[in-house]
Amino acid sequence: MTDAATVKPMGAGPRVRSAPAAWTLWLARRLGLAVLTLWLTSVLVFLATTALGDPVKAILGKSAETSPARAEQIRAQLNLDDSIFERYAHWLGGLLTGDLGTSVANQQPVSELLGDRVINSGVLVLIAAVVMIPIAFGVALICANARGRRTDQAIQLVLLTLAGLPEFVIGILLVAVFSTTLLHILPAVTISAGGESPWQNPASMILPVATLVLAVAPYIIRIVRSTLLEVLDSDYVELARLKGVPERVVLRKHALLNAIVPGIQVIALQLAWLAGGVVIVEYLFSYPGVGASLVDSVRNSDIPMVQALAMIIAAVYVVVNLVADVLSILFTPRARTAIGS
Amino acid sequence: MNGLSRRDVLRLGAYAAAGATGLGSLTACGAVPPKPDPNAPQKRGGVLSHGATGGGLKDTLDPHSPVTNPDIARCRNLYEPLLAWDEDYKIQPALAKAVTPNKDATVWTVELRDDVVFHNGKTMTADDVLSTLARVADPKAPTSGGVELSGILDLKNARARGPYVVELPLSSPYAVLDQLLAEYTVGIIPADFDVANPVGTGAFKYDTFQPGLQSSFLRHDDYWGDPAWVDELLIFDFADDSAKVNALLAGQVQSVDNLPSYLVDSISDQGSSALISETGAWVPFTMRVDVAPFKDNRVRQALRLIADRQQMIDQALNGYGFLGNDLYSPFDPAYAKDLPQREQDLDKAKSLLKQAGQSDLQVELVTSTAVGAGGVESANLFVDHAREAGVDVRLTKADPNTFYGERYLSWPFAQDFWNTRNYIPQVAVCAQKGATYNETHFDDPDFNDLIATARQETDEAKRNQLLQDAQEIEYDTGGYIIWGFKRQVDGYSNLVQGFVPHRYMPCTSFEFRRVSFV
Repeated sequence: MTDAATVKPMGAGPRVRSAPAAWTLWLARRLGLAVLTLWLTSVLVFLATTALGDPVKAILGKSAETSPARAEQIRAQLNLDDSIFERYAHWLGGLLTGDLGTSVANQQPVSELLGDRVINSGVLVLIAAVVMIPIAFGVALICANARGRRTDQAIQLVLLTLAGLPEFVIGILLVAVFSTTLLHILPAVTISAGGESPWQNPASMILPVATLVLAVAPYIIRIVRSTLLEVLDSDYVELARLKGVPERVVLRKHALLNAIVPGIQVIALQLAWLAGGVVIVEYLFSYPGVGASLVDSVRNSDIPMVQALAMIIAAVYVVVNLVADVLSILFTPRARTAIGS
Repeated sequence: MNGLSRRDVLRLGAYAAAGATGLGSLTACGAVPPKPDPNAPQKRGGVLSHGATGGGLKDTLDPHSPVTNPDIARCRNLYEPLLAWDEDYKIQPALAKAVTPNKDATVWTVELRDDVVFHNGKTMTADDVLSTLARVADPKAPTSGGVELSGILDLKNARARGPYVVELPLSSPYAVLDQLLAEYTVGIIPADFDVANPVGTGAFKYDTFQPGLQSSFLRHDDYWGDPAWVDELLIFDFADDSAKVNALLAGQVQSVDNLPSYLVDSISDQGSSALISETGAWVPFTMRVDVAPFKDNRVRQALRLIADRQQMIDQALNGYGFLGNDLYSPFDPAYAKDLPQREQDLDKAKSLLKQAGQSDLQVELVTSTAVGAGGVESANLFVDHAREAGVDVRLTKADPNTFYGERYLSWPFAQDFWNTRNYIPQVAVCAQKGATYNETHFDDPDFNDLIATARQETDEAKRNQLLQDAQEIEYDTGGYIIWGFKRQVDGYSNLVQGFVPHRYMPCTSFEFRRVSFV
């Protein structure tokens, strides 16, 4: 995942490529790996969703006995009479052409059912990221600046406590404080009349976003803080200090820049986790996103929906990591030159 | 739109809190609305929001095949059957003024009201009733509410006798057809019904619908009965209990069904009230009477004596239940309430097992969260009770798909769940020969005869006697352990009034037309 770290200066490499060509090659290799990862995921997802016994029984449950017509319809819809290879080829072909199939529970196209929900979850994670990143770097800077002092210790205690709390506990506490028990100033859930998107009622987004930020930020802050401290202890920062550069400038100009790469990596990991992990937050706030519909679809044994959602979440993982790697390389002079030279 | 809108209600909570903080207090305790005066007159207007439990992409607006809990709530407000169950689970006229059998219960006559108007402005007539019944009780593909009807109705010979009278001949005599026609799954729809534009006769008409999320409805101004107080009704799906309750406490919805019973006390401190109703819903243990060791009635009797019923009610249902006596349909006028209440008797259970040669009985009990609240909990308690009687019960928790999968109806010892039904319709689905969901494989010739005779008996006193005789057979030799019936617990905001306990369905049977803002 952290390709940036593995890219080493190529010492006595005999061949010398032009910088753009080298970049293209690197990107192509990285994209190729991403596609390979997704293809392997598709095989795993397909096997996992088809190896679980007779889907017709799973879908119809108590009424499988009494509705043979419906059973027959599902068999046809899932192509259950074809061989497993034919079914996989059919499914993969659909994926590649943007046809995600038809929901068994609802008889509507999966893409139609998921479109809004993918956007909703994306917006939630995006807002959380936009709020979280400056806060995380800011708090990490404050901590590093006050290393070992009372402010730092107090913040570390809060962060460790937050990191130890499951996100649903954080969410329930926030709701109790701001919506139900103590104060009544924010909506407790994101429901809205007329099928508006949740962000059209911004007040209802505050608590879900706050929950995600509080659940994820502690990890990022702690990693950025420790990187900052590492840099602050290094010889070249010592040299800068000796030359008379003020501590504040040292922190901002030297340490922060060096902490960006590990920061990007951990943010990427956390964002990728959010793509699949928002489910608890979505449940708690009745937020119409992908996490909640994944649970619903698993419960309904709605195989086309589960397959599509699994692939969407896998794609988010792959893309977020790819972007993080590119950014990491751009921010690491050594790695940048290694590819370019 | 006049009156209190949903947004206003939210704001009400907001400024109450702001007022409290403005006075220097951090809490909004003084701001929660008190319980309304029950004698205050109801008033018109506002948007009522209801939080429904569950739902998902399976949601539908089909009047005759509701799948999820929110479906049922929608169904109850869009469509209406010919007859209706009232608060006491007694049948009352609805779209029909009367539904009466001939002397031998082979032909039933339905007299319709002449002032019922569909949401699209069309007047309901006999043709609509006939086409509805043809859809519900289609012999080839009956809907969920029509399985029993399709076996009895002789639809080919059914006919309209005038615009407001329908004659329904039966293929076999059936004395309680009215009970089947009062079910919410037999809502009357116009002959040209299309589920994409759902038209019914209910107090609310369709506006919007998003499966798994929400739906909205407007007041039906030409409603034949007392029209709704509120202008608009919103029904939101809630996959999560805490989200549902938080929405109630924050004022975003005014009612929720299936409030977790441990919250009854705490919501009353926060401006909401619990609505508690008796129901005939049961979560039985099911013993197959045709396989060992349950084939021996002494074993079944022993296991029935092992259960500590009161403890199951107190712990598995948090006290929200009442005693069962291995019989179902407690609200049926024929319910055999005179049979002695069975109680835990470990000594008698042990001696019965000894007689049966099963002193070291070991059995597997299969349960699942799919049977609903009280299921797994009562199964755990049963394991403890059985241990005291020297019976080794191994508990297997199956996931819902497995539990209701291929082996459903063939588990030797398991659980299931049933909702409120009267005796004859219930027997038809669970206890008589050929019943679809006969988990216990009960098939007693005397019992089957009594039921067959009772189905044709139009004299209620005589019929009740036959049914009590049938219940005595089940009481003595049946395969169910029915330890109790659930009470229904719902919640509503003190900003609304009109909710009353109702035996048929949650939240005053989802009759939201009766609810108004304070």
